[in-house]
Amino acid sequence: MAHDLPGERKLLLTWGVLMGLTLVSLVGGQVVGEGRAEPLAWWSVALVLGATYYKARQILMVYLNLRASTPGWKGLLRAFLVLTLGLILGGYLLAVLA
Amino acid sequence: MQAQEESDWGPLSDLPGNPLIWVLILGELVVFAAFFGVYGIARAGEREVFDASQQLLDPLMGGINTMVLLSSGLFAALAIEARARGALRTCRRWLLAAMALGLVFCIVKVYEYVDKFGQGLTLETNTFFTFYYLLTGFHFAHVIFGLGLLGLVVWRTSMANVETATAFWHMVDLIWVILYPLIYLLR
Repeated sequence: MAHDLPGERKLLLTWGVLMGLTLVSLVGGQVVGEGRAEPLAWWSVALVLGATYYKARQILMVYLNLRASTPGWKGLLRAFLVLTLGLILGGYLLAVLA
Repeated sequence: MQAQEESDWGPLSDLPGNPLIWVLILGELVVFAAFFGVYGIARAGEREVFDASQQLLDPLMGGINTMVLLSSGLFAALAIEARARGALRTCRRWLLAAMALGLVFCIVKVYEYVDKFGQGLTLETNTFFTFYYLLTGFHFAHVIFGLGLLGLVVWRTSMANVETATAFWHMVDLIWVILYPLIYLLR
């Protein structure tokens, strides 16, 4: 595979985004305060899963450098991510509806 | 000759590192995804037990560990950048820094396990804790294996080796990023 690397600047920027999204997850997941014992609101679930998707995508495309790979691999791994998070959301909905 | 060897791996040649590591990575991703699905089904059957048990975890500590692992991933990616420009010593330093943060992750996780065991929360406490120990324990085993791989490429620092070990390390990162909200946050 050709070494079309992202470069240090892009890596540092991605790291900053990943840190920010982890903070978003912590806020969305209401890890402190009175809301800690309550079920999450729908907006919180969307925030946590949205941040998770974007973080996972950044790891694949920038850290793992799949952006330099073929459209087939990029599409396959994005589809895998959507499927995995869909499974998690499906399980969550199943518990809510049960 | 080298081009012919690379093309023998077919589509796997388009991925960074040794194609064999990708067979492992893709297999592991599928196994973890299956576990996540089974966890969701189990939670649907015992929602109260899962939600009450989740309250006994420390999501803030899990969040800090997420940041530690993501920073370790950055160092691993920077090691490739250094290796690509031929800066071997810098590459080794980044790899060692990635390993150091990997060790911090392990120390935090062990502290968490000891704390839970101290509270009498074991694999057999309930279904949630069975999943908690199995999923995080399986991931922990991958962290240890990844640390071993990184250690090997500090010694044998070819571009292919560094790409191979860091690809595995990023997979460890990726799985934790999905595992963390599932176990610690969603309720």
